[in-house]
Amino acid sequence: MTGADAPLLDVADLRVEFDTYGGTVQAVRGVSFSVAAGKTLAIVGESGCGKSVTVQALMGLVPMPPGRITAGSARLRGHEILGTTMLEGRDFRGNEIGMIFQDPMSALNPTMTIGRQIAETLEVHRGWSRARAFARAVELLDMVRIPEAAARARQYPFEFSGGMLQRAMIAMAIACEPAILIADEPTTALDVTIQAQVLDLMADLQNEKSMAIVLITHDLGVVARMADDVAVMYAGQIVEKGSVDDIFYRPAHPYTVGLRAAMPTNADHADHVLRPIPGSPPDLFSPPAGCAYAARCPHAMNICADHDPPPFLPDESGHFGRCWLHHESVAGGLERLRAGAATERSAHE
Amino acid sequence: MTETPLTSPGMLPPDAFAPMRGTVEGHAITRPSLSYWQDAWIRLKANWRALFSLWLIVAMLAFVLVGPLVWRVDPAAQDLRQVSSAPGLARSAIIVAPFTAGAEEPPVPANRGLHLAAPPTTQVVRLVWQPVSGAADYLVYRNIVPVTPGKAYGLPLGNTMSASTTHYDDQLDLDPQTYYYTVIPVDADGRRLQEPDTIKVAVKSAITLAEAQERGLVGANDTPGVGDRVTLAWHPLGTDYLGRDMLARLMQGGRASLFIGLVAPLLYVMLGVAYGSVAGFIGGRVDQVMMRFADFVIALPFLLFMILLKVAFGIGPGESGIMPMIVAMVILLWPGTARLVRGQILQVREEGYVEAAKLLGARTSYIMLRHMIPNTLGVILVTLTFAIPSAIFTEAFLSFIGMGVAPPEASWGSMSNDGIKTMLTHPHELLFPALMISVTVLAFNLLGDGLRDALDARMRSRG
Amino acid sequence: MLRYTIRRLVQGVITVWFIATATFLAMHMVPGDPLSGEKATSEQIRANLEAKYGLNQPIGTQYLIYLGNIAKGDLGISFTQKNREVNDIIREHFPVSAALGILAITFAAIGGILLGALTALYRNKWPDAAIMLLVILGISVPSFVFAAFSQLAIVKLNALLGFSLLPVAGWGTVSHMIVPSLVLGLGTMAYLTRLMRSSMLEIVNADYVRTAHAKGLPPTRVFSRHQLRNAILPVVTVLGPAIAAITTGSFVIELVFAIPGLGRYFVQAVQQLDYTVIMGTTVFYGAFLVLMVIIVDLLYGFVDPRVRVD
Repeated sequence: MTGADAPLLDVADLRVEFDTYGGTVQAVRGVSFSVAAGKTLAIVGESGCGKSVTVQALMGLVPMPPGRITAGSARLRGHEILGTTMLEGRDFRGNEIGMIFQDPMSALNPTMTIGRQIAETLEVHRGWSRARAFARAVELLDMVRIPEAAARARQYPFEFSGGMLQRAMIAMAIACEPAILIADEPTTALDVTIQAQVLDLMADLQNEKSMAIVLITHDLGVVARMADDVAVMYAGQIVEKGSVDDIFYRPAHPYTVGLRAAMPTNADHADHVLRPIPGSPPDLFSPPAGCAYAARCPHAMNICADHDPPPFLPDESGHFGRCWLHHESVAGGLERLRAGAATERSAHE
Repeated sequence: MTETPLTSPGMLPPDAFAPMRGTVEGHAITRPSLSYWQDAWIRLKANWRALFSLWLIVAMLAFVLVGPLVWRVDPAAQDLRQVSSAPGLARSAIIVAPFTAGAEEPPVPANRGLHLAAPPTTQVVRLVWQPVSGAADYLVYRNIVPVTPGKAYGLPLGNTMSASTTHYDDQLDLDPQTYYYTVIPVDADGRRLQEPDTIKVAVKSAITLAEAQERGLVGANDTPGVGDRVTLAWHPLGTDYLGRDMLARLMQGGRASLFIGLVAPLLYVMLGVAYGSVAGFIGGRVDQVMMRFADFVIALPFLLFMILLKVAFGIGPGESGIMPMIVAMVILLWPGTARLVRGQILQVREEGYVEAAKLLGARTSYIMLRHMIPNTLGVILVTLTFAIPSAIFTEAFLSFIGMGVAPPEASWGSMSNDGIKTMLTHPHELLFPALMISVTVLAFNLLGDGLRDALDARMRSRG
Repeated sequence: MLRYTIRRLVQGVITVWFIATATFLAMHMVPGDPLSGEKATSEQIRANLEAKYGLNQPIGTQYLIYLGNIAKGDLGISFTQKNREVNDIIREHFPVSAALGILAITFAAIGGILLGALTALYRNKWPDAAIMLLVILGISVPSFVFAAFSQLAIVKLNALLGFSLLPVAGWGTVSHMIVPSLVLGLGTMAYLTRLMRSSMLEIVNADYVRTAHAKGLPPTRVFSRHQLRNAILPVVTVLGPAIAAITTGSFVIELVFAIPGLGRYFVQAVQQLDYTVIMGTTVFYGAFLVLMVIIVDLLYGFVDPRVRVD
């Protein structure tokens, strides 16, 4: 897969486990996705579904032990990067793939100036001198719209506000003009007004540099704003994947429907009621034999308890959902899934 | 993407696609609910170091409390026959006839050189030699290591002060061990006449019949003859420089060390808890003043003021040793706990669950009992556990510089102070009390570590 | 920063005043006031004491005289020796203790930081276990025991070599300083190692260390620029208490190794009940430790940028 039309990043059947006191946790259970240049892939799911672990495994950030990558491959421009941090003799992190984290307050070194932290990446990957790298860091801070960048570069993280820190993080991640930017819940720790600024900044930078973005979030509002493609994760698996329109208008998995119903919107009419998904995700010490969502699913059938659904294809666009409702034996399953979610849940309860 | 052939419908039961009845089992995350202390105890039991330390502490307490009932040797009794003897099994001694210095002169030997006139015993070593022509005096030396050319001859025992006396009886502090005797003939001007002779002498333990009877080593009807063996009093861990039994002394000294180590922290932690909770509860101006005072007491250099207070209290009549030390520790060390408890109470007071309890109409006593105490007790317990080894250290330090437990009482610290004086020749006198201090301090430190980890509520989720 | 320094110095002066007052009270308020002068050994000393401390005046006046003397920098005269001033004693003996103490704290700090970092790097491997065993020994064994057995070891070593490699006791040359300062620093080093280890282990999982890895920095650079620097911060905060521990620890070490430092002199004064020297030396030590704590706190401001702006 080194052809010209090959995806930038191609992840196949990634599996990650953690050894803990209570046993082995299967945090990621066979995740596959690919990312194309200039596009944004959003990975959506609730806390603990394995979305952060997935990207941390790609970046070699899973602590080993207790973590372990048991299977899978990840190819960056056709080169395997799983289990290594080297690509053609150089560390790809910070250079080919930049990453920003959830809490900018704790993700920056408190005893190093912002400018130095940005410059450091350039010194290491480009071999630049301290002075040159620092000058570039000031330009980058300016680019992420931090006022008085030259003075700010000499300040420490505690002198910055949360939104400014996240912008500084972005400056740091894009310093070497990476092909891919991974953003792990970049706006979760920020005020709502600041969230929009940060997202806009990311979108603008993507247009300028035609970067690919992998956006990890649990916020469907962020997904709607940013994503081209969406992968919905549940209990360590991608349960549905498709374009942003597929996910919002043609969902193929009851969990996606549930997520939508639990999200506030401003487009809806006044009697829109938020409906939480009952129950909690399964214990990944011993993942269920069947569908992981069966215990919370309003459409659960007998087969769901013992047989893990394969990816089904309701249409031909590459959109898939892992749900037995798509099986040929179930009459009108898709219609039930999309239309009758509300009534069936109340019957179920 | 196509449907995988993993589960073809033909293999499935006919109702596979019927709606599920009931719920999927085994998905609920339910673990048994445990109380704070049950949970802590389970975690402590999983920590083998802490558990081992706990048993070690119990064993140490049994050693000093029950030990004297089992090993009924008087720790103050001096066995002058066995001073600074090394640890080991019971030693025996040969019965010898009483020896009177100068009563009989040994015959001059037929051969040249230095000889023994009688079997060497701890009673006396009798040296005899052929006269050297021209010698006016003979110098006698004793060493505990072999004498090699160019090395010292050891302890100068004395000289004969005449040319005609060619024998010497050594009765000076003889131990059952090997000695190297050297006799140097010198002329009237003190010049050395020839290469001195050296002999190696293995001295055997000996006791007279009268002394053996007096010490109760032989029965009243039992009359062993000269040359028979009697068994001496057994000192399994040896004796100290005054011939006192080390094992009995360690038990006695341990009582003092552990008493100080347990009582002083208990008292000052209690005082600190009282002071800190009063300050925390009343709050406001009173709290400010109280804590400012505590800050000043903390600023006092602790060991210096321990010494100062010891000097001051030691002057009073009938006050020596243990009590002044405990008083000084209580006066100086309470503010640490007071600060901690106050902080904890202020913190708990602000917690949502206390607010909630208040809104639900809970009384102050209920809040105290249900929220304040359980949330501070863990911290207090850990503080106490770490306070004990530091108190034992303080006792040892003060006793070592002569400011702690004074004779006739003993502590491990004062025993170490005694032991260091004879360390080069009899290291066991320092080693044993030092070992007791170290093991006890280690056990309390490891237990404290274990308790802190077990009681740390933040770690609870790691289960 | 300047305002902070001044505030700390004013606080320090108040603390020293409190220490001096507590010292005065401890000596005067207990039964059988030793400073009533009746215990002084000779007429001349008693006359000197009366002149210096105003012993026949009311206690309030005595206190003022005492504070006045301290404010002038005069710490008093000896109770047992003629014409011996506490200031002379300090001038003579403190430099020795200071040399020993500086060596010990340097050894403790560098050793603690290095060993602590090492244990965290080799977590649960044999270097970690070996160092933690030494740490447990360092925390559990009293320093005088280390001192005594190191003397024994030197004696045996010298006997084995056939010449004197290291002196067993005494003071004067560099070789006299090595073993006592190592023994003096050992307990503190063990404590700092433990602190450094837990601090490192906490920081290994810190978000900013993960960020540093995600930037593609080489592990050595992540270790030196991001982990070590931040892990040292808690170690710096406890340097004040560490200096206090080493200062009092030197009493025993100077005694065992026969080093003519102020600590040994202080212990001798205590044993001879030289009350006025005990008082003067206590106030001196107290002031010294207060100053050290202030210096360490100011130093911390330079290490941690978050404190600097205050």
